[in-house]
Amino acid sequence: MDSPFFSEEHRIFRRSVRKFVDEELNPHVDEWEAAGRFPKEVYKKLGDLGVLGIRYPAEYGGADADIWTTAVFCEEMGRCRSRGLTMSVLVQTDMSSPHLAYRGSDFLKKKYLPGMISGKRVGAIVLSEPEVGSDLANMRTTAKKKGDQYILNGSKTYITNALQADLFFVAAKTDPSAGKKGVSMLLVERDSPGFLIEPMKKKLGMHASDTGELTFQNTPVPAENLIGEENQGFYYVMESLQKERFVSCCAMTSSAQQAIEDTIDYAQSRNIFGKKLSEYDLTRYKLARLQTRVEAARQLTYYAAHLYDRGLDWTDAVSMSKAFCAEVANEVADECLQIHGGAGYIEEYDIPRLFRDLRLWKIGAGTTEVMYYILAKRMGI
Amino acid sequence: MNTLVCIKRVPDTGARFALTSDGQDIDSRNLEFTISPHEECAVEEAIRIQEKQGGSTAVLTLGPEVASEQIRESLAKGIDRGVLLETDGSEWDPQATSQAIVNAVQSIQKTGTKYDLVLFGNESADSGDYQVGVRVAAALDWPCITGIKSIEFQNNQVVAKREAPGGWELFRLTLPAVVTVKEGINVPRHPSLRGIMTAKKKEIERIKPAKPELKLLKQNLRKPQEKSGEIQILGHGIEAVPAIVAKLKELGVI
Ligand SMILES: Cc1cc2nc3c(=O)[nH]c(=O)nc-3n(C[C@H](O)[C@H](O)[C@H](O)COP(=O)(O)OP(=O)(O)OC[C@H]3O[C@@H](n4cnc5c(N)ncnc54)[C@H](O)[C@@H]3O)c2cc1C
Repeated sequence: MDSPFFSEEHRIFRRSVRKFVDEELNPHVDEWEAAGRFPKEVYKKLGDLGVLGIRYPAEYGGADADIWTTAVFCEEMGRCRSRGLTMSVLVQTDMSSPHLAYRGSDFLKKKYLPGMISGKRVGAIVLSEPEVGSDLANMRTTAKKKGDQYILNGSKTYITNALQADLFFVAAKTDPSAGKKGVSMLLVERDSPGFLIEPMKKKLGMHASDTGELTFQNTPVPAENLIGEENQGFYYVMESLQKERFVSCCAMTSSAQQAIEDTIDYAQSRNIFGKKLSEYDLTRYKLARLQTRVEAARQLTYYAAHLYDRGLDWTDAVSMSKAFCAEVANEVADECLQIHGGAGYIEEYDIPRLFRDLRLWKIGAGTTEVMYYILAKRMGI
Repeated sequence: MNTLVCIKRVPDTGARFALTSDGQDIDSRNLEFTISPHEECAVEEAIRIQEKQGGSTAVLTLGPEVASEQIRESLAKGIDRGVLLETDGSEWDPQATSQAIVNAVQSIQKTGTKYDLVLFGNESADSGDYQVGVRVAAALDWPCITGIKSIEFQNNQVVAKREAPGGWELFRLTLPAVVTVKEGINVPRHPSLRGIMTAKKKEIERIKPAKPELKLLKQNLRKPQEKSGEIQILGHGIEAVPAIVAKLKELGVI
């Protein structure tokens, strides 16, 4: 569908990413889903395509492009038949690297950003802990300053890209008594001493995306690897979470759109009681209703992008969008699976994988309940 | 080596489409537009020729203002400059199209750029006339070869290969020449985001050719019957053989 927000460049870019996904990723996704990870080479190819630093400055290898370019990228990545791979890549582009690009010192940016943009170095965002997910201000991991180092102790869980990542953006308490005012962000290299990474296997979905548990046992981190200012980490995380949520919305609405298209194809080829499944009013109504909801979800996301583009506060729009898109995407997955009948339950079709994958988005990057919690608070209730 | 590639903006052939109510056109409201696949390979070939041999590359299209998007996409991949022969969006037949291209090539040649090679796709993805490249070559009095899947250069000659049953046909053409290429000659690159951003600054020359009287007229379009996706199971194991033989006879295969 045409949109006033996208220019000629965006359309050319969309076709380019779509072809890349169709030609370089989709033929391999079954293998990668089965393996529970995908080759690091994929990041290098994405780096060559210029998509790992879309909004970052050209001096570090970025494209200096706008939020709409990010939207196009995420929408097209949402059409990858492994939504897990998509999630891992978005962790690189819009969940981990923004801490470096927007809050990192010049020293850190020079040292690490070109590698993240070219795809040589993979990033992970390290917030959740076994005891704390939604309530991040209560995290237990600590970073004690000792000379020109921080000493990290604690454990983290559900970390996407844990097995592949070279750079871990870790939130930890530098002042455990100060609640959210005592959190700092540190950039931790993979081979740091006392840093253990263990795979978490058997996820419901997002299979090609690797997930791990991290343990820090007196892990020394150079003080120069502090992101931004000490004890400001919680605010950086909140700022960055908006981008995480926004990109997840772009990806999941376009995954849902693709599921509708697949389902139309299926319904048009399936004969039931002497008629095509697509000829029954009930099917037509269902699909038209889902399309309406996907369009509404997409436009709400575009509204968030519009606010960001204008430098305005997009927190409300992003929170609404994240909650709404995840609901709609899951409804689409469920209804489209239903229209497939038994075939929808068999792995030959993409739909069961999509059904499992999209379920994550009611949880990851902040749960739906947390989105409404934030909104209610901002509504003054 | 100066190469000019002629491309056409066409509806994305993979997409579902409908016809306009008067049957004169396809309904483009919900369609994506793209470059014909053969021509995408021609664009790629031109870039590779430049990478190996130096010289310049240009891309030309005849079409409405919006066709500048397909030029821009080629510029994003690495083509140096674009030429848009701008029309009002109405259809031009192959004769009119090739005449406009010939005029443009000749006027560009006068201003300095001498083209050594003009590349086309073997046929366009929409109308599939197989004519424009051949007509342009004839009008320029240049040698022409069609359906090519490999291009090399030796001593100021093009060595072009065409796939033939059981092998390859080999052709030598003296330059300047016209070559129409087929998908498979290369794997076209994806334009990088940086390429797309720099393409914004590249030049597109706009020429408005006068539309001649068309001599090849379209009656109307008809959509082919959709193929039914039904599968007929003729039997299982060895018992299926007579049914298969009967079916093959019915289809005229044996
Ligand atoms: C596949 C996957 C990948 C992930 N990747 C990462 C990653 O890369 N980095 C990272 O840091 N984390 C990651 N996570 C973790 C994810 O962000 C958390 O799971 C999520 O934030 C929820 O936290 P929790 O699991 O601790 O749930 P909890 O916070 O324990 O929540 C449990 C339930 O309580 C609800 N709840 C919370 N607050 C309220 C409230 N105020 N009122 C009512 N109900 C409430 C929640 O909505 C939820 O339903 C990932 C998770 C998964 C599954």
